[in-house]
Amino acid sequence: MTTTRCAEPIAFSMLIDYWLGELGQAEETRVEEHLLGCGACTASAQQLADVAQGIRTLFTQGFVSAVVSDAFLERAASHGLRLREYAVPMGGSVQCTVGPDDDLLVTRLEAALDGVEQVDMLMLDTHGKGVERVRDIPFNAATGQVVMSPRTAAIRTLSAHTAQIRLLAIDREGERVIGEYTFHHSPWRSS
Amino acid sequence: MLQPSYAECLDEDPDHTGLDDASLVRRIAGAGTAGGEAEAELYRRLSPRVRFYGLRHLRDEQAAADLVQQVLMMTLERVRAGKLRRPEMLASFVLGTCRMVVLDLRRTYARRERLLTTFGEDVPLADPSSSPRLDHDRLLHCLDRLPEREKSVLVLTFYDDRAAAEVAGELGISEANVRVIRHRGLQRLRDCVTRGGTS
Repeated sequence: MTTTRCAEPIAFSMLIDYWLGELGQAEETRVEEHLLGCGACTASAQQLADVAQGIRTLFTQGFVSAVVSDAFLERAASHGLRLREYAVPMGGSVQCTVGPDDDLLVTRLEAALDGVEQVDMLMLDTHGKGVERVRDIPFNAATGQVVMSPRTAAIRTLSAHTAQIRLLAIDREGERVIGEYTFHHSPWRSS
Repeated sequence: MLQPSYAECLDEDPDHTGLDDASLVRRIAGAGTAGGEAEAELYRRLSPRVRFYGLRHLRDEQAAADLVQQVLMMTLERVRAGKLRRPEMLASFVLGTCRMVVLDLRRTYARRERLLTTFGEDVPLADPSSSPRLDHDRLLHCLDRLPEREKSVLVLTFYDDRAAAEVAGELGISEANVRVIRHRGLQRLRDCVTRGGTS
């Protein structure tokens, strides 16, 4: 078999399953034997591994925002990541900052999520003007909160300001506000 | 029937890159000490494949590099000595060797971890970062363009390589849904990154 092209390449979905250990034993052996005999499929698989590593690196360096979960944050903390968390009740506000040693900022937005089908997140600036709308964010209704990690690296560079987040429930009848949260950000001050 | 000499093979096909793996193995077996270039070609082909296997099972760049070194040394020795009786089964032989060496490496690293736990503060740590194989600026640009669900599923999955069932439990959605979102997100990412070129 040449290394330039494969006559029967392994499907991308199967490479993902293989990388994450989701194949049965026999299928895993078949995939591994194919990969060890095929440079083309190995190159595809390596591309997947590189993307996975890239996502991990970019997120842990604070360049990527994402809705996460409590279990995820426990794992991140157990791996040595330093988390700075802010829990904000509906209609509440918080004084916040980012320390030089903080790896990730985490915000916990309390919200009534039972029966909600879709949630959009609206970011508002100091004047209450919408600057970004994030549509259809994932959420676990059972937790009663939206847990997210914003772009920590970018927030670290910001001067003092106030920002708002508004959570909107979207359904066939339209949209309604299910929570508003205010963040009074200050740059880090060492004591 | 006499096998052609290594020199005769080179005359016929000096470029080893045109051979399949089994033919390359046969050429090395017949070359004795003169098979350097053919061995280099086999090493070049097998190295990324074994490295990927190492990344999948050991989840560590350095460990994967150790695996490559050991497995290829053992493989080349066997091939050189003409002991790989069925060259078409090279991949199968390499897989068996990988499995054996991974077990050994895990034991070695477990011992090392125990030592580091005991004496770790006295040991200067090597910088684990290595230059990324992918353009991270491009990847970030592509990640930012993903729908939020896809981005979250990918972060929750690949932060520490979690299976769909676990991510599903964390997000309160079905495992099947996670797999669909995951696949779609990765497909979009891959297309976006390769459109922009990789480093």
